[in-house]
Amino acid sequence: MKKSSQTYTITTLQKKFTAKAILITIMNSLIEKILYHVEKPGRYVGGEHNQIEKDWGSTPLRWCLIFPDIYDIGQTNLGLAMLYQILNAEPDILAERSFAPWIDMEAQLREHDLPLFSLESKKALKEFDILGFTLPYESIYTNVLNILELSGIEAYVSHRTENDPLILGGGQACFNAEPMADFFDAFVIGEGEEVSLEISHLYKAWKANNGSRQELLFQLAKFPGVYVPSLYEVDYLQDGTIEAIRPLRADIPAKITKRIVPVLPPHPEKFLVPNVEIVHDRMSIEIMRGCTRGCRFCHAGMVNRPVRQRSVDQLIPTIKNALKSTGYEEVGLLSLSSSDHTQILELTQQVHENFHDKKLAFGLPSLRIESFSVDLMNELQELKPGGGFTLAPEAATERMRAVINKPLDEEDFYFTVKKIFEHGWRSLKLYYMIGLPTETMEDVEAILEAGIKVKRIGKSILGNSAKVHLGIGTLIPKPHTPFQWLPVESPETIQAKIDYLKAGTRKAGIKMSYNIPDSSLLETWLSRGDRRLGPVIYRAWKNGAKFDAWGERENLPIWREAFESTGVDPDFYAYRERGLDEILPWDHIDIGVKKNFLKQDLQWSLRGRTRPDCRNTCYACGILDAFGETRPDNNISYWGCP
Amino acid sequence: MNDTPIRIRVKYSKSGNLRFLGHIDTQNLFERALRRTELPIRHTQGFNKRIRINLASALPLGFISEAEILDIWLDQPIDTEIIGKKLNEALPDDIKVLEVQMVDNALPSLQASLVSSDYLISIPADPGLETFKNRFQALLTGEKIEIIKRKKTIDLKPMILDYSFQSESPDGDQSFIRLSSSPNANARPDDLLQLLEIDPADCLVKRTKLNFS
Ligand code: SF4
Repeated sequence: MKKSSQTYTITTLQKKFTAKAILITIMNSLIEKILYHVEKPGRYVGGEHNQIEKDWGSTPLRWCLIFPDIYDIGQTNLGLAMLYQILNAEPDILAERSFAPWIDMEAQLREHDLPLFSLESKKALKEFDILGFTLPYESIYTNVLNILELSGIEAYVSHRTENDPLILGGGQACFNAEPMADFFDAFVIGEGEEVSLEISHLYKAWKANNGSRQELLFQLAKFPGVYVPSLYEVDYLQDGTIEAIRPLRADIPAKITKRIVPVLPPHPEKFLVPNVEIVHDRMSIEIMRGCTRGCRFCHAGMVNRPVRQRSVDQLIPTIKNALKSTGYEEVGLLSLSSSDHTQILELTQQVHENFHDKKLAFGLPSLRIESFSVDLMNELQELKPGGGFTLAPEAATERMRAVINKPLDEEDFYFTVKKIFEHGWRSLKLYYMIGLPTETMEDVEAILEAGIKVKRIGKSILGNSAKVHLGIGTLIPKPHTPFQWLPVESPETIQAKIDYLKAGTRKAGIKMSYNIPDSSLLETWLSRGDRRLGPVIYRAWKNGAKFDAWGERENLPIWREAFESTGVDPDFYAYRERGLDEILPWDHIDIGVKKNFLKQDLQWSLRGRTRPDCRNTCYACGILDAFGETRPDNNISYWGCP
Repeated sequence: MNDTPIRIRVKYSKSGNLRFLGHIDTQNLFERALRRTELPIRHTQGFNKRIRINLASALPLGFISEAEILDIWLDQPIDTEIIGKKLNEALPDDIKVLEVQMVDNALPSLQASLVSSDYLISIPADPGLETFKNRFQALLTGEKIEIIKRKKTIDLKPMILDYSFQSESPDGDQSFIRLSSSPNANARPDDLLQLLEIDPADCLVKRTKLNFS
C-alpha cells in the first residue's frame, strides 16, 4: 500500500505483531487445534465487542453463566445479559459464559478428553465457584446433564464432592423444576437481579469460613427465593399423587416465595455483539415486565406479576446508548403485552423522532388486537418498511375466548385486520390455540372461517398479494395457571383437528403452521412433572437424548424407553385430570398468586365468566399480599396493580 | 451530503480468537463496527440499505493476518487519522486497523486487482523443517500438482509463484510462500499443506501481504 500524507499507521502494533505474541493470547493449543475441525468455531471463542474479561487470579468469586443450548440460541438471551452486567459490575466477582457445544464440538472434546470451557478465559467449568444455568424451557434439561458430564461433574447432587462448583438454576422453568430436583444444588425462584448478588455475598462468607458443602446448602435454603430441593422430601399416596412435601429441617421454610425486584433495575446497554451469525441477532430492550390481562393459558402472565414498566424517559437514553455501544441495526421492544405500557404511544413517537434517520428496524411484538396497535406499528414501520403483522386472537368463538379470558370484539378484530391491509402490510399472521378446555369442533371450524374471512378482506384491499398465515398451537396446561388441573387433549383428537384445519387452509390458499401432537409431549411431561422424573431424564440422556428442542420427535422413542425402563407412567402427567384438593408437585413454590385464586379462576372459566384486566379492578390474586410492602411510590416505578 | 462518495482503503490485522471468524461474519463485524463509529458511512442504494463495504479477499478460517485490506465509502471526507482511531475503538481487540488512506474512486475493485498473497507458515516440530523442505521440493518436481475442489481438478503448480525457507527465525522454522489469488486462479495454503501431509491445524499460517496489480 502506497503511503501518502493522508495515511494513518500504527507502527508499534505492527512490530508487536509476531506469531508468538498471538499464540499467547489464545487458549491452550489443543483447544485451538480442535477448533479447526468444527463447523462454526466462532461459537466457542468469545472475543465479542463488549465482552468483559477480568483477571482470573485476583478475582475471588467466579461465576460461569451457562445457557444450555448452543451459542446461536443463547447469546441474545436478555436474562443472561442482565446477570452478566450485574455480576461483572462487582469488583470482586467475575462472570464468564458457556453454552452447550454443538454435536461436532462435543465429539472433538470427548475425543481429545478436553473439558468444556468458558468463552472468556477458556477455563474448565469445574474451576469456577458457581455454575449458573439459565433454564427458560424444559427441552434443554438433557443438555444440562451433558454439560455437567463434559465438565467432569457428577449429575446427581448426592454424588458431588466438596470441591465441585455450586450448581444453580434460574429462569422461567424453575417455577416447577421438580423433574430436575436430583441434579441442582439450588434453584433461584423468580427474578435474579438482586438475589444473584446476595448469593454471591453469602458464598464468599461461607468460603471464608471454610464451611462444608452441606452447610452452604443449609444457608442457601434459608435464603429468600432460593430453593434447595435436596432439603425437601416428598411423600406419595397409593395412587401416585402427593401426600406431602416437607422440608427436612424446621428452620427451612415450607414454601419458597419467588423473588421480584420492586423497581426494574437499569437496563443493560453494553450488549455483547456476536461475531458469528446467530438466531434473532438483534438487541432486546425490556420495556415492561408482567401482565395484568390474566389469560388463563398463559404461564408467563401468571408467574411474572406484578406489572412493572420502564418509563419513556429511561427507555430512550437506554436505546440510544445501547445502539451506540453495539451498532445493532434491529431493536426489539419486549414485553408480554406492549399495548398495555402506559406510555406506549409516546414511546413509539419518541423512537420515531430520535431514530428516524438511522436506518434501523424496530419491532414491537405482543400487541393487542385493536386499531390503535396499527397506529403504533405504523409509527415504527416508517423507520424501516418490511415485515409482516402478527395478531394472536388465540380462539375464534366468543364462548371459547371467555373460557380462556381473552375477550375480543369481532367487529374490532375485522376492523383492525382491514386497517392492517389498508396500511399496506401484505402478510398477516394469526395465532390460534387448539386443545382448549370445553373446545368443540365448532370452535375449531370457527378458526378456519376467521382465516378465510381475513383472507377475503386482504384480497379486497391488496388483491392476490395479501397473505394470511395461521399459526396453530396446542394447549399444554401449565403449572401455576388456572388450567393446571386439566389434562392435555388426546393426540388423536388433536390430530383430527389439525387435519381438518390443514385441509381447509389448503383449499383456501392460507398458509398454516402447527406442531404435530407428538412434538409437545416432552414439554407436557417435563413441565407438569414431579421429581420422580429425575431418573427418566437421566436415562433418556444416557441413551442419547440431547438438544430435545431441536429434535423432539426423533428423541421421542428414547424418552418412551426411559419411562418404561424406570417404571414411570408418562400418561399420569399428561392425560390425568388432577383433583382440586390434590397437592401439586409445585405447590411449595409460591409465585405470589394464591392457589385459591387459580381455583376460582378455573371455575369461572368453565362457566364462561371472564375476569377483565385487573389494572382497573383488583381481584386480590395475592400479589399485593406477598409483595405490596416492597412497592415503591408511583413516581419511581409504575406498578400495574391499582 | 457530498454526491461523490469518498473511497477509503483500510489495512487491518486479524488474530487471536477472531481468526476463527469466516468471511461473511468478518464483513458483518465490520458493518456493525462502522455503525458504532458514527462516521458518515455511505449506504447502498435501494430498499434494503446496507453499508457499502468491500473486502479484498477471504482469509481462510484459522489463519491470522497482518495485511487484510478493505474499502469503505463515506459521504464526506474525514481525516484518515480520525477514521483509524474511531475504527480501532469500535473493533474487538483481535482486529486492528493498521493503515487508512483515501484512494481514487475510479480504481477497479479490490478483488479485480488482487494478484497474489504472501504467507508465512510456521512449521511444526513434527515433521520439522528438513522433511517439510523435502516434501515440498518433491511436490514441485511433478509436472502438475493436482487437487480436486468442488468436483473440479485444479493444478496448483502454476499458482505457486515464490517460496523460501527460514530456519531459526524468532518465531521458529518458517516457510514463505506466494500464491496466486486472482479471481480465476486462487490457491490456498491449507490445500498445499494437506498435500504435504501436514494438518493445517498444527501450523500457524499468517498472511503477510496482498499484492495488487
Ligand atoms: S394484586 Fe390485583 S391488580 Fe395486582 S396482579 Fe393481582 S389481581 Fe392484578
